Amino acid sequence: MTSPVAAAATRPAVRAAVVPPPRPRGRWKASAGWAAVLAVTALTLAPGIGVEVDLGALARNWQNGADKVVALLQPDWAFFPRTVEPLLETLQMAVIATAVAGVLSLPLSLWAARTTNPHTALRGTVRAVLDVVRAVPDLLYAAVLVAMVGVGALPGILALVLFDVGIVVKLVSEQLEAADTGALEAARAAGGTQLQVNRSVAVPDMLPGFWTQLLYVLELNVRASSVLGLVGAGGMGLLIDAVRSFYRYDQLSLIILEILVVVLVLEAVSSAARRRLV
Amino acid sequence: MTAPAAPAAARRAPLTGVVVPPPRPPRLALRALSVAVVVVVVGAFWSVDISWGRLADLPSEVVRYLWLMFSAPDWSALPEALRQTWRSVAMAWLGTVLGILIATPLSLLAARGHGPAPVRGALRLVFAVIRAVPEIIIAIVILSVTGLTPLTGALALAVNGVGTLGKWGYEAIEGIGRGPVEAVRAAGGSGPHVLRWGVWPEVLPAFGSFWLYRFEINVRSSAVLGLIGVGGIGDMLTSYTQYRQWSTVGVLLIVVVVVTVAIDAASGALRRRIMEGARARAVQP
Repeated sequence: MTSPVAAAATRPAVRAAVVPPPRPRGRWKASAGWAAVLAVTALTLAPGIGVEVDLGALARNWQNGADKVVALLQPDWAFFPRTVEPLLETLQMAVIATAVAGVLSLPLSLWAARTTNPHTALRGTVRAVLDVVRAVPDLLYAAVLVAMVGVGALPGILALVLFDVGIVVKLVSEQLEAADTGALEAARAAGGTQLQVNRSVAVPDMLPGFWTQLLYVLELNVRASSVLGLVGAGGMGLLIDAVRSFYRYDQLSLIILEILVVVLVLEAVSSAARRRLV
Repeated sequence: MTAPAAPAAARRAPLTGVVVPPPRPPRLALRALSVAVVVVVVGAFWSVDISWGRLADLPSEVVRYLWLMFSAPDWSALPEALRQTWRSVAMAWLGTVLGILIATPLSLLAARGHGPAPVRGALRLVFAVIRAVPEIIIAIVILSVTGLTPLTGALALAVNGVGTLGKWGYEAIEGIGRGPVEAVRAAGGSGPHVLRWGVWPEVLPAFGSFWLYRFEINVRSSAVLGLIGVGGIGDMLTSYTQYRQWSTVGVLLIVVVVVTVAIDAASGALRRRIMEGARARAVQP
Protein backbone atom coordinates (compact mmCIF):
# COMPACT_ATOMS: atom_id res chain seq x y z
CA MET A 1 0.00 0.00 0.00
CA THR A 2 2.61 2.53 1.06
CA SER A 3 5.37 1.60 -1.35
CA PRO A 4 3.69 2.85 -4.56
CA VAL A 5 2.75 6.06 -2.82
CA ALA A 6 6.32 6.59 -1.73
CA ALA A 7 7.56 5.84 -5.21
CA ALA A 8 5.08 8.29 -6.65
CA ALA A 9 6.12 10.98 -4.24
CA THR A 10 9.68 10.79 -5.48
CA ARG A 11 8.46 11.50 -9.02
CA PRO A 12 6.88 14.94 -9.13
CA ALA A 13 5.32 14.45 -12.56
CA VAL A 14 2.59 12.26 -11.08
CA ARG A 15 1.58 15.09 -8.77
CA ALA A 16 0.24 16.99 -11.76
CA ALA A 17 -3.48 17.45 -12.21
CA VAL A 18 -5.44 14.25 -12.68
CA VAL A 19 -6.14 13.79 -16.36
CA PRO A 20 -9.49 12.11 -16.88
CA PRO A 21 -9.55 9.43 -19.53
CA PRO A 22 -10.70 10.70 -22.93
CA ARG A 23 -14.42 10.62 -23.43
CA PRO A 24 -15.48 7.67 -25.54
CA ARG A 25 -15.92 8.60 -29.16
CA GLY A 26 -19.23 8.31 -30.93
CA ARG A 27 -21.21 10.20 -28.29
CA TRP A 28 -22.84 12.19 -31.07
CA LYS A 29 -24.56 8.96 -32.10
CA ALA A 30 -26.61 8.89 -28.90
CA SER A 31 -27.58 12.55 -29.34
CA ALA A 32 -28.47 11.91 -32.97
CA GLY A 33 -30.63 8.99 -31.85
CA TRP A 34 -32.56 11.10 -29.35
CA ALA A 35 -32.92 13.87 -31.95
CA ALA A 36 -34.33 11.38 -34.46
CA VAL A 37 -36.84 10.12 -31.89
CA LEU A 38 -37.92 13.70 -31.18
CA ALA A 39 -38.22 14.48 -34.88
CA VAL A 40 -40.40 11.45 -35.60
CA THR A 41 -42.55 12.22 -32.56
CA ALA A 42 -43.02 15.78 -33.81
CA LEU A 43 -43.95 14.39 -37.23
CA THR A 44 -46.58 12.07 -35.75
CA LEU A 45 -48.06 15.03 -33.92
CA ALA A 46 -47.96 17.37 -36.93
CA PRO A 47 -51.42 18.72 -37.76
CA GLY A 48 -52.90 17.33 -40.95
CA ILE A 49 -50.61 14.36 -41.41
CA GLY A 50 -50.27 12.75 -38.01
CA VAL A 51 -52.32 11.98 -34.92
CA GLU A 52 -54.28 15.11 -34.15
CA VAL A 53 -54.12 15.89 -30.47
CA ASP A 54 -57.20 17.91 -29.63
CA LEU A 55 -56.70 19.01 -26.05
CA GLY A 56 -59.91 21.02 -26.24
CA ALA A 57 -61.90 17.84 -26.77
CA LEU A 58 -60.12 16.30 -23.81
CA ALA A 59 -61.16 19.21 -21.61
CA ARG A 60 -64.73 19.23 -22.95
CA ASN A 61 -65.34 15.50 -22.61
CA TRP A 62 -63.53 15.03 -19.35
CA GLN A 63 -66.82 14.82 -17.44
CA ASN A 64 -68.12 12.24 -19.91
CA GLY A 65 -65.06 10.08 -19.32
CA ALA A 66 -65.32 10.48 -15.57
CA ASP A 67 -68.94 9.27 -15.72
CA LYS A 68 -67.82 6.23 -17.68
CA VAL A 69 -65.13 5.46 -15.14
CA VAL A 70 -67.69 5.75 -12.33
CA ALA A 71 -69.94 3.35 -14.24
CA LEU A 72 -66.99 1.02 -14.68
CA LEU A 73 -66.42 1.02 -10.94
CA GLN A 74 -69.98 -0.23 -10.33
CA PRO A 75 -70.23 -3.58 -12.08
CA ASP A 76 -73.73 -4.74 -12.87
CA TRP A 77 -73.69 -8.10 -11.10
CA ALA A 78 -77.21 -8.96 -12.32
CA PHE A 79 -75.71 -9.23 -15.81
CA PHE A 80 -73.64 -12.23 -14.76
CA PRO A 81 -75.95 -15.06 -15.97
CA ARG A 82 -75.89 -13.69 -19.51
CA THR A 83 -72.11 -13.69 -19.58
CA VAL A 84 -71.63 -17.34 -18.64
CA GLU A 85 -72.29 -18.79 -22.07
CA PRO A 86 -70.06 -16.37 -24.03
CA LEU A 87 -67.33 -16.84 -21.45
CA LEU A 88 -67.51 -20.62 -21.91
CA GLU A 89 -67.40 -20.19 -25.67
CA THR A 90 -64.31 -18.01 -25.31
CA LEU A 91 -62.61 -20.73 -23.27
CA GLN A 92 -63.67 -23.44 -25.74
CA MET A 93 -62.25 -21.45 -28.62
CA ALA A 94 -58.97 -20.93 -26.77
CA VAL A 95 -58.60 -24.63 -25.84
CA ILE A 96 -59.49 -25.95 -29.30
CA ALA A 97 -57.21 -23.46 -31.04
CA THR A 98 -54.33 -24.36 -28.73
CA ALA A 99 -54.83 -28.10 -29.31
CA VAL A 100 -55.01 -27.75 -33.10
CA ALA A 101 -52.05 -25.37 -33.15
CA GLY A 102 -50.06 -27.83 -31.04
CA VAL A 103 -50.71 -30.69 -33.46
CA LEU A 104 -49.78 -28.54 -36.46
CA SER A 105 -46.71 -26.88 -35.00
CA LEU A 106 -44.91 -30.01 -33.79
CA PRO A 107 -43.87 -31.16 -37.30
CA LEU A 108 -43.59 -27.58 -38.57
CA SER A 109 -41.11 -26.70 -35.80
CA LEU A 110 -38.94 -29.67 -36.78
CA TRP A 111 -39.08 -28.52 -40.40
CA ALA A 112 -38.18 -24.94 -39.50
CA ALA A 113 -35.04 -25.70 -37.46
CA ARG A 114 -31.62 -26.10 -39.03
CA THR A 115 -30.59 -28.96 -36.75
CA THR A 116 -33.58 -31.14 -37.54
CA ASN A 117 -34.14 -30.33 -41.21
CA PRO A 118 -31.10 -30.30 -43.50
CA HIS A 119 -33.13 -29.31 -46.59
CA THR A 120 -32.51 -25.60 -47.03
CA ALA A 121 -35.30 -25.04 -49.53
CA LEU A 122 -38.02 -26.71 -47.46
CA ARG A 123 -36.84 -24.98 -44.30
CA GLY A 124 -36.75 -21.60 -46.03
CA THR A 125 -40.25 -22.08 -47.40
CA VAL A 126 -41.73 -23.00 -44.02
CA ARG A 127 -40.04 -20.03 -42.39
CA ALA A 128 -41.01 -17.53 -45.09
CA VAL A 129 -44.66 -18.61 -45.03
CA LEU A 130 -44.78 -18.37 -41.24
CA ASP A 131 -43.09 -14.95 -41.26
CA VAL A 132 -45.92 -13.71 -43.46
CA VAL A 133 -48.54 -15.46 -41.31
CA ARG A 134 -47.12 -13.85 -38.18
CA ALA A 135 -47.18 -10.35 -39.66
CA VAL A 136 -50.99 -10.17 -39.66
CA PRO A 137 -52.65 -9.64 -36.25
CA ASP A 138 -55.25 -12.21 -35.13
CA LEU A 139 -58.17 -9.77 -35.20
CA LEU A 140 -57.52 -8.92 -38.85
CA TYR A 141 -57.53 -12.63 -39.66
CA ALA A 142 -60.80 -12.94 -37.78
CA ALA A 143 -62.32 -9.99 -39.64
CA VAL A 144 -61.47 -11.53 -43.01
CA LEU A 145 -62.37 -15.10 -41.98
CA VAL A 146 -65.77 -14.04 -40.66
CA ALA A 147 -66.56 -12.72 -44.13
CA MET A 148 -65.33 -16.02 -45.60
CA VAL A 149 -66.91 -18.72 -43.42
CA GLY A 150 -69.64 -16.81 -41.63
CA VAL A 151 -70.20 -15.58 -38.06
CA GLY A 152 -69.45 -17.89 -35.12
CA ALA A 153 -66.71 -19.64 -33.22
CA LEU A 154 -65.17 -21.29 -36.31
CA PRO A 155 -63.53 -18.17 -37.84
CA GLY A 156 -62.31 -17.23 -34.37
CA ILE A 157 -60.67 -20.62 -33.88
CA LEU A 158 -59.09 -20.49 -37.35
CA ALA A 159 -57.69 -17.01 -36.68
CA LEU A 160 -56.24 -18.14 -33.35
CA VAL A 161 -54.70 -21.25 -34.92
CA LEU A 162 -52.95 -19.19 -37.61
CA PHE A 163 -51.62 -16.78 -35.03
CA ASP A 164 -50.54 -19.56 -32.62
CA VAL A 165 -48.73 -21.68 -35.21
CA GLY A 166 -46.72 -18.61 -36.21
CA ILE A 167 -45.57 -17.99 -32.64
CA VAL A 168 -45.03 -21.58 -31.47
CA VAL A 169 -43.04 -22.65 -34.52
CA LYS A 170 -40.80 -19.60 -34.28
CA LEU A 171 -40.08 -20.02 -30.56
CA VAL A 172 -39.71 -23.82 -30.61
CA SER A 173 -37.52 -23.91 -33.73
CA GLU A 174 -35.25 -21.25 -32.21
CA GLN A 175 -35.03 -23.38 -29.09
CA LEU A 176 -34.19 -26.44 -31.22
CA GLU A 177 -31.38 -24.57 -32.95
CA ALA A 178 -30.01 -23.30 -29.66
CA ALA A 179 -29.95 -26.78 -28.11
CA ASP A 180 -26.77 -28.80 -27.80
CA THR A 181 -26.25 -30.94 -30.92
CA GLY A 182 -24.26 -33.71 -29.21
CA ALA A 183 -27.14 -36.15 -28.88
CA LEU A 184 -28.28 -35.47 -32.45
CA GLU A 185 -24.79 -36.14 -33.79
CA ALA A 186 -24.53 -39.33 -31.74
CA ALA A 187 -27.84 -40.57 -33.14
CA ARG A 188 -26.74 -39.73 -36.68
CA ALA A 189 -23.38 -41.45 -36.11
CA ALA A 190 -25.25 -44.53 -34.96
CA GLY A 191 -26.78 -44.66 -38.43
CA GLY A 192 -30.20 -43.14 -37.81
CA THR A 193 -32.08 -41.51 -40.65
CA GLN A 194 -33.16 -37.88 -40.14
CA LEU A 195 -36.67 -39.07 -39.27
CA GLN A 196 -35.37 -41.55 -36.69
CA VAL A 197 -32.99 -38.99 -35.23
CA ASN A 198 -35.77 -36.43 -34.87
CA ARG A 199 -38.16 -38.98 -33.46
CA SER A 200 -35.82 -40.44 -30.86
CA VAL A 201 -33.64 -37.45 -29.92
CA ALA A 202 -34.98 -34.08 -31.04
CA VAL A 203 -38.62 -34.58 -30.07
CA PRO A 204 -38.06 -35.77 -26.46
CA ASP A 205 -35.53 -32.98 -26.09
CA MET A 206 -37.85 -30.22 -27.27
CA LEU A 207 -41.03 -31.41 -25.53
CA PRO A 208 -40.68 -29.48 -22.23
CA GLY A 209 -40.07 -26.24 -24.14
CA PHE A 210 -42.87 -27.10 -26.52
CA TRP A 211 -45.39 -27.57 -23.66
CA THR A 212 -44.22 -24.31 -22.12
CA GLN A 213 -44.88 -22.43 -25.35
CA LEU A 214 -48.28 -24.09 -25.72
CA LEU A 215 -49.25 -22.94 -22.22
CA TYR A 216 -48.09 -19.44 -23.09
CA VAL A 217 -50.14 -19.54 -26.27
CA LEU A 218 -53.18 -20.76 -24.32
CA GLU A 219 -52.91 -17.64 -22.15
CA LEU A 220 -52.63 -15.44 -25.24
CA ASN A 221 -55.62 -17.22 -26.76
CA VAL A 222 -57.90 -16.62 -23.79
CA ARG A 223 -56.99 -12.95 -23.88
CA ALA A 224 -57.37 -12.70 -27.66
CA SER A 225 -60.51 -14.80 -28.02
CA SER A 226 -62.33 -12.57 -25.56
CA VAL A 227 -62.16 -9.75 -28.11
CA LEU A 228 -62.37 -11.67 -31.39
CA GLY A 229 -66.16 -11.45 -31.14
CA LEU A 230 -65.91 -7.71 -31.83
CA VAL A 231 -65.66 -8.65 -35.50
CA GLY A 232 -68.25 -11.42 -35.22
CA ALA A 233 -66.04 -14.39 -34.40
CA GLY A 234 -67.90 -15.65 -31.33
CA GLY A 235 -67.19 -15.62 -27.61
CA MET A 236 -67.15 -12.74 -25.18
CA GLY A 237 -66.44 -10.14 -27.86
CA LEU A 238 -69.97 -10.32 -29.28
CA LEU A 239 -71.26 -9.31 -25.86
CA ILE A 240 -68.66 -6.55 -25.55
CA ASP A 241 -69.80 -5.16 -28.87
CA ALA A 242 -73.45 -5.23 -27.72
CA VAL A 243 -72.94 -3.53 -24.35
CA ARG A 244 -70.62 -0.97 -25.89
CA SER A 245 -73.20 0.12 -28.46
CA PHE A 246 -75.73 0.63 -25.63
CA TYR A 247 -73.12 2.47 -23.54
CA ARG A 248 -73.66 0.00 -20.67
CA TYR A 249 -70.27 0.56 -19.10
CA ASP A 250 -71.45 -1.06 -15.86
CA GLN A 251 -71.96 -4.30 -17.80
CA LEU A 252 -68.69 -3.82 -19.66
CA SER A 253 -67.06 -3.54 -16.26
CA LEU A 254 -68.35 -6.98 -15.25
CA ILE A 255 -67.07 -8.45 -18.53
CA ILE A 256 -63.63 -6.92 -18.01
CA LEU A 257 -63.58 -8.28 -14.46
CA GLU A 258 -64.41 -11.77 -15.68
CA ILE A 259 -61.70 -11.70 -18.35
CA LEU A 260 -59.29 -10.39 -15.74
CA VAL A 261 -60.09 -13.18 -13.27
CA VAL A 262 -59.87 -15.90 -15.92
CA VAL A 263 -56.58 -14.57 -17.31
CA LEU A 264 -54.98 -14.14 -13.89
CA VAL A 265 -56.10 -17.62 -12.72
CA LEU A 266 -54.81 -19.16 -15.93
CA GLU A 267 -51.55 -17.26 -15.58
CA ALA A 268 -51.08 -18.58 -12.03
CA VAL A 269 -51.89 -22.16 -13.07
CA SER A 270 -49.66 -22.05 -16.12
CA SER A 271 -46.72 -20.52 -14.28
CA ALA A 272 -47.04 -23.28 -11.65
CA ALA A 273 -47.17 -25.88 -14.43
CA ARG A 274 -44.20 -24.25 -16.15
CA ARG A 275 -42.11 -24.48 -12.99
CA ARG A 276 -42.85 -28.23 -12.90
CA LEU A 277 -41.98 -28.63 -16.59
CA VAL A 278 -38.66 -26.83 -16.63
CA MET B 1 -32.58 -53.79 -3.95
CA THR B 2 -29.83 -55.60 -5.87
CA ALA B 3 -27.75 -52.48 -6.17
CA PRO B 4 -24.87 -53.44 -3.85
CA ALA B 5 -24.56 -56.87 -5.48
CA ALA B 6 -24.55 -55.62 -9.04
CA PRO B 7 -21.08 -53.99 -9.30
CA ALA B 8 -19.46 -56.90 -7.54
CA ALA B 9 -21.13 -59.34 -9.90
CA ALA B 10 -20.06 -57.26 -12.87
CA ARG B 11 -16.47 -57.34 -11.74
CA ARG B 12 -16.35 -61.10 -11.38
CA ALA B 13 -18.45 -62.54 -14.17
CA PRO B 14 -18.73 -61.31 -17.78
CA LEU B 15 -21.88 -59.32 -18.43
CA THR B 16 -24.25 -61.84 -19.88
CA GLY B 17 -27.43 -61.05 -18.02
CA VAL B 18 -30.31 -58.95 -19.33
CA VAL B 19 -30.00 -55.19 -19.13
CA VAL B 20 -32.05 -53.93 -16.21
CA PRO B 21 -33.51 -50.50 -17.02
CA PRO B 22 -33.55 -47.97 -14.19
CA PRO B 23 -36.84 -47.80 -12.32
CA ARG B 24 -39.34 -45.47 -13.94
CA PRO B 25 -40.14 -42.25 -12.08
CA PRO B 26 -43.62 -42.15 -10.53
CA ARG B 27 -45.99 -41.56 -13.38
CA LEU B 28 -49.33 -41.36 -11.60
CA ALA B 29 -49.44 -37.53 -11.45
CA LEU B 30 -48.35 -37.26 -15.06
CA ARG B 31 -50.99 -39.75 -16.15
CA ALA B 32 -53.70 -37.90 -14.22
CA LEU B 33 -52.60 -34.65 -15.81
CA SER B 34 -52.67 -36.04 -19.34
CA VAL B 35 -56.11 -37.53 -18.75
CA ALA B 36 -57.33 -34.16 -17.47
CA VAL B 37 -55.88 -32.34 -20.50
CA VAL B 38 -57.45 -34.83 -22.92
CA VAL B 39 -60.82 -34.55 -21.15
CA VAL B 40 -60.74 -30.74 -21.35
CA VAL B 41 -59.75 -30.71 -25.02
CA VAL B 42 -62.26 -33.37 -26.06
CA GLY B 43 -64.92 -31.65 -23.98
CA ALA B 44 -64.23 -28.36 -25.71
CA PHE B 45 -64.43 -29.95 -29.16
CA TRP B 46 -67.59 -31.81 -28.28
CA SER B 47 -69.45 -28.94 -26.65
CA VAL B 48 -68.52 -26.02 -28.88
CA ASP B 49 -71.29 -24.73 -31.08
CA ILE B 50 -69.80 -25.28 -34.51
CA SER B 51 -71.30 -27.00 -37.51
CA TRP B 52 -68.27 -29.09 -38.34
CA GLY B 53 -69.76 -29.79 -41.75
CA ARG B 54 -68.65 -26.31 -42.80
CA LEU B 55 -65.08 -27.38 -42.21
CA ALA B 56 -65.25 -29.82 -45.14
CA ASP B 57 -65.64 -27.14 -47.80
CA LEU B 58 -63.25 -24.78 -46.01
CA PRO B 59 -60.18 -25.54 -48.18
CA SER B 60 -61.99 -24.83 -51.42
CA GLU B 61 -63.50 -21.67 -49.91
CA VAL B 62 -60.11 -20.45 -48.77
CA VAL B 63 -58.63 -21.04 -52.21
CA ARG B 64 -61.59 -19.23 -53.81
CA TYR B 65 -61.21 -16.18 -51.56
CA LEU B 66 -57.43 -16.11 -51.91
CA TRP B 67 -57.97 -16.09 -55.67
CA LEU B 68 -60.49 -13.24 -55.34
CA MET B 69 -58.05 -11.27 -53.20
CA PHE B 70 -54.75 -11.80 -54.94
CA SER B 71 -55.44 -12.72 -58.57
CA ALA B 72 -56.12 -9.13 -59.62
CA PRO B 73 -55.28 -6.77 -56.77
CA ASP B 74 -56.84 -3.34 -57.12
CA TRP B 75 -53.72 -1.18 -56.91
CA SER B 76 -55.69 2.05 -57.24
CA ALA B 77 -56.34 1.77 -53.49
CA LEU B 78 -52.63 1.79 -52.74
CA PRO B 79 -52.11 5.56 -52.07
CA GLU B 80 -55.00 5.68 -49.62
CA ALA B 81 -53.77 2.43 -48.02
CA LEU B 82 -50.31 3.91 -47.50
CA ARG B 83 -51.80 7.08 -46.02
CA GLN B 84 -53.85 5.02 -43.56
CA THR B 85 -50.81 2.87 -42.77
CA TRP B 86 -48.89 6.01 -41.89
CA ARG B 87 -51.71 7.00 -39.51
CA SER B 88 -51.52 3.54 -37.89
CA VAL B 89 -47.76 3.74 -37.55
CA ALA B 90 -48.01 7.30 -36.19
CA MET B 91 -50.53 6.03 -33.64
CA ALA B 92 -48.16 3.22 -32.69
CA TRP B 93 -45.19 5.57 -32.38
CA LEU B 94 -47.01 8.12 -30.26
CA GLY B 95 -48.42 5.33 -28.09
CA THR B 96 -44.92 3.95 -27.60
CA VAL B 97 -43.41 7.35 -26.70
CA LEU B 98 -46.19 8.14 -24.22
CA GLY B 99 -45.91 4.65 -22.77
CA ILE B 100 -42.15 5.07 -22.30
CA LEU B 101 -42.59 8.45 -20.61
CA ILE B 102 -45.10 7.03 -18.13
CA ALA B 103 -43.58 3.58 -17.64
CA THR B 104 -39.92 4.50 -17.06
CA PRO B 105 -40.37 6.39 -13.75
CA LEU B 106 -43.02 3.89 -12.64
CA SER B 107 -40.75 0.91 -13.32
CA LEU B 108 -38.08 2.56 -11.19
CA LEU B 109 -40.56 2.96 -8.34
CA ALA B 110 -41.61 -0.68 -8.76
CA ALA B 111 -38.04 -2.00 -8.58
CA ARG B 112 -36.79 -3.56 -5.36
CA GLY B 113 -34.26 -1.27 -3.70
CA HIS B 114 -35.59 1.91 -5.29
CA GLY B 115 -39.26 2.30 -4.44
CA PRO B 116 -41.04 2.00 -1.08
CA ALA B 117 -42.61 -1.42 -0.53
CA PRO B 118 -46.33 -0.47 -0.58
CA VAL B 119 -45.89 1.58 -3.77
CA ARG B 120 -43.97 -1.31 -5.29
CA GLY B 121 -46.74 -3.83 -4.60
CA ALA B 122 -49.47 -1.50 -5.86
CA LEU B 123 -47.60 -0.70 -9.07
CA ARG B 124 -46.92 -4.36 -9.80
CA LEU B 125 -50.61 -5.13 -9.37
CA VAL B 126 -51.49 -2.27 -11.74
CA PHE B 127 -49.04 -3.57 -14.34
CA ALA B 128 -50.48 -7.09 -14.06
CA VAL B 129 -54.06 -5.86 -14.40
CA ILE B 130 -53.24 -3.72 -17.43
CA ARG B 131 -51.48 -6.63 -19.09
CA ALA B 132 -54.52 -8.85 -18.59
CA VAL B 133 -56.92 -6.46 -20.36
CA PRO B 134 -56.82 -6.47 -24.18
CA GLU B 135 -55.90 -3.05 -25.59
CA ILE B 136 -59.08 -2.88 -27.62
CA ILE B 137 -61.10 -2.79 -24.37
CA ILE B 138 -58.88 -0.03 -23.02
CA ALA B 139 -59.57 1.87 -26.25
CA ILE B 140 -63.33 1.39 -25.79
CA VAL B 141 -63.08 2.97 -22.34
CA ILE B 142 -60.86 5.84 -23.52
CA LEU B 143 -62.95 6.71 -26.56
CA SER B 144 -65.67 8.12 -24.31
CA VAL B 145 -63.28 11.02 -23.69
CA THR B 146 -61.43 11.47 -26.96
CA GLY B 147 -63.93 10.08 -29.44
CA LEU B 148 -63.15 7.92 -32.45
CA THR B 149 -59.81 9.53 -33.29
CA PRO B 150 -56.27 8.20 -33.72
CA LEU B 151 -55.46 9.86 -30.40
CA THR B 152 -57.71 7.29 -28.68
CA GLY B 153 -55.67 4.56 -30.28
CA ALA B 154 -52.39 6.15 -29.22
CA LEU B 155 -53.60 6.57 -25.63
CA ALA B 156 -54.86 2.97 -25.48
CA LEU B 157 -51.50 1.71 -26.74
CA ALA B 158 -49.73 3.93 -24.20
CA VAL B 159 -51.77 2.54 -21.31
CA ASN B 160 -51.26 -1.01 -22.55
CA GLY B 161 -47.56 -0.31 -22.99
CA VAL B 162 -47.26 0.79 -19.36
CA GLY B 163 -48.24 -2.73 -18.29
CA THR B 164 -45.54 -4.49 -20.31
CA LEU B 165 -42.81 -1.81 -20.24
CA GLY B 166 -43.28 -1.37 -16.50
CA LYS B 167 -42.82 -5.07 -15.85
CA TRP B 168 -39.83 -5.51 -18.15
CA GLY B 169 -38.39 -2.30 -16.73
CA TYR B 170 -38.41 -3.24 -13.06
CA GLU B 171 -37.15 -6.72 -13.89
CA ALA B 172 -34.22 -5.18 -15.78
CA ILE B 173 -33.47 -2.71 -12.99
CA GLU B 174 -33.49 -5.49 -10.41
CA GLY B 175 -31.24 -7.58 -12.63
CA ILE B 176 -28.29 -5.15 -12.82
CA GLY B 177 -25.11 -5.82 -10.87
CA ARG B 178 -24.53 -4.08 -7.55
CA GLY B 179 -21.11 -2.80 -8.66
CA PRO B 180 -21.89 0.47 -10.46
CA VAL B 181 -24.50 1.48 -7.86
CA GLU B 182 -22.08 0.84 -4.98
CA ALA B 183 -19.29 2.64 -6.83
CA VAL B 184 -21.41 5.78 -7.23
CA ARG B 185 -22.45 5.60 -3.59
CA ALA B 186 -18.82 5.12 -2.48
CA ALA B 187 -17.80 8.18 -4.51
CA GLY B 188 -20.33 10.19 -2.50
CA GLY B 189 -23.19 10.23 -4.99
CA SER B 190 -26.71 10.98 -3.77
CA GLY B 191 -29.89 9.14 -4.77
CA PRO B 192 -30.35 10.94 -8.11
CA HIS B 193 -26.63 10.49 -8.85
CA VAL B 194 -26.98 6.75 -8.29
CA LEU B 195 -29.89 6.66 -10.73
CA ARG B 196 -28.15 8.78 -13.36
CA TRP B 197 -24.65 7.26 -13.24
CA GLY B 198 -25.21 3.83 -11.65
CA VAL B 199 -28.57 2.51 -12.84
CA TRP B 200 -29.34 4.39 -16.06
CA PRO B 201 -26.21 3.43 -18.09
CA GLU B 202 -26.64 -0.18 -16.97
CA VAL B 203 -30.28 -0.53 -18.03
CA LEU B 204 -30.31 1.76 -21.09
CA PRO B 205 -29.44 -0.94 -23.68
CA ALA B 206 -32.09 -3.27 -22.29
CA PHE B 207 -34.61 -0.44 -22.13
CA GLY B 208 -33.84 0.57 -25.71
CA SER B 209 -34.45 -2.98 -26.79
CA PHE B 210 -37.76 -3.14 -24.87
CA TRP B 211 -38.88 0.16 -26.41
CA LEU B 212 -38.23 -1.07 -29.93
CA TYR B 213 -39.95 -4.37 -29.19
CA ARG B 214 -42.94 -2.54 -27.75
CA PHE B 215 -43.05 -0.40 -30.91
CA GLU B 216 -43.21 -3.59 -33.01
CA ILE B 217 -46.10 -4.84 -30.87
CA ASN B 218 -47.84 -1.47 -31.15
CA VAL B 219 -47.58 -1.48 -34.95
CA ARG B 220 -49.57 -4.71 -34.98
CA SER B 221 -52.01 -3.52 -32.33
CA SER B 222 -52.63 -0.20 -34.06
CA ALA B 223 -53.91 -2.10 -37.09
CA VAL B 224 -56.22 -4.02 -34.77
CA LEU B 225 -57.49 -0.88 -33.04
CA GLY B 226 -58.76 0.34 -36.40
CA LEU B 227 -61.50 -2.29 -36.07
CA ILE B 228 -63.40 -0.19 -33.52
CA GLY B 229 -63.13 2.83 -35.79
CA VAL B 230 -60.21 4.90 -34.47
CA GLY B 231 -58.79 5.16 -37.98
CA GLY B 232 -55.79 3.74 -39.75
CA ILE B 233 -55.30 0.66 -41.87
CA GLY B 234 -57.48 -1.56 -39.68
CA ASP B 235 -60.44 0.76 -40.15
CA MET B 236 -59.98 0.67 -43.92
CA LEU B 237 -59.60 -3.12 -43.93
CA THR B 238 -62.83 -3.71 -42.00
CA SER B 239 -64.89 -1.45 -44.22
CA TYR B 240 -63.62 -3.04 -47.43
CA THR B 241 -64.16 -6.52 -45.93
CA GLN B 242 -67.72 -5.60 -45.05
CA TYR B 243 -68.35 -4.34 -48.60
CA ARG B 244 -66.72 -7.59 -49.80
CA GLN B 245 -64.37 -5.73 -52.15
CA TRP B 246 -61.88 -8.54 -52.12
CA SER B 247 -59.47 -7.14 -54.70
CA THR B 248 -58.92 -4.12 -52.41
CA VAL B 249 -58.73 -6.29 -49.28
CA GLY B 250 -55.91 -8.20 -50.98
CA VAL B 251 -53.93 -4.98 -51.50
CA LEU B 252 -54.53 -3.93 -47.89
CA LEU B 253 -53.31 -7.29 -46.56
CA ILE B 254 -50.19 -7.06 -48.73
CA VAL B 255 -49.53 -3.57 -47.36
CA VAL B 256 -50.01 -4.74 -43.75
CA VAL B 257 -47.66 -7.70 -44.23
CA VAL B 258 -44.96 -5.71 -46.05
CA VAL B 259 -45.00 -2.79 -43.59
CA THR B 260 -45.05 -5.06 -40.52
CA VAL B 261 -42.24 -7.29 -41.80
CA ALA B 262 -40.17 -4.23 -42.80
CA ILE B 263 -40.61 -2.52 -39.43
CA ASP B 264 -39.88 -5.78 -37.59
CA ALA B 265 -36.71 -6.30 -39.61
CA ALA B 266 -35.45 -2.74 -39.08
CA SER B 267 -36.30 -2.73 -35.40
CA GLY B 268 -34.89 -6.24 -34.91
CA ALA B 269 -31.59 -5.22 -36.53
CA LEU B 270 -31.43 -2.14 -34.32
CA ARG B 271 -32.21 -4.20 -31.22
CA ARG B 272 -29.45 -6.70 -32.02
CA ARG B 273 -27.08 -3.80 -32.59
CA ILE B 274 -28.00 -2.28 -29.24
CA MET B 275 -27.64 -5.50 -27.27
CA GLU B 276 -24.49 -6.75 -28.97
CA GLY B 277 -22.88 -3.30 -28.96
CA ALA B 278 -23.51 -3.13 -25.26
CA ARG B 279 -21.98 -6.55 -24.68
CA ALA B 280 -18.86 -5.71 -26.73
CA ARG B 281 -18.29 -2.54 -24.70
CA ALA B 282 -18.74 -4.40 -21.44
CA VAL B 283 -15.81 -6.78 -22.03
CA GLN B 284 -13.35 -4.02 -22.98
CA PRO B 285 -10.69 -3.43 -20.32
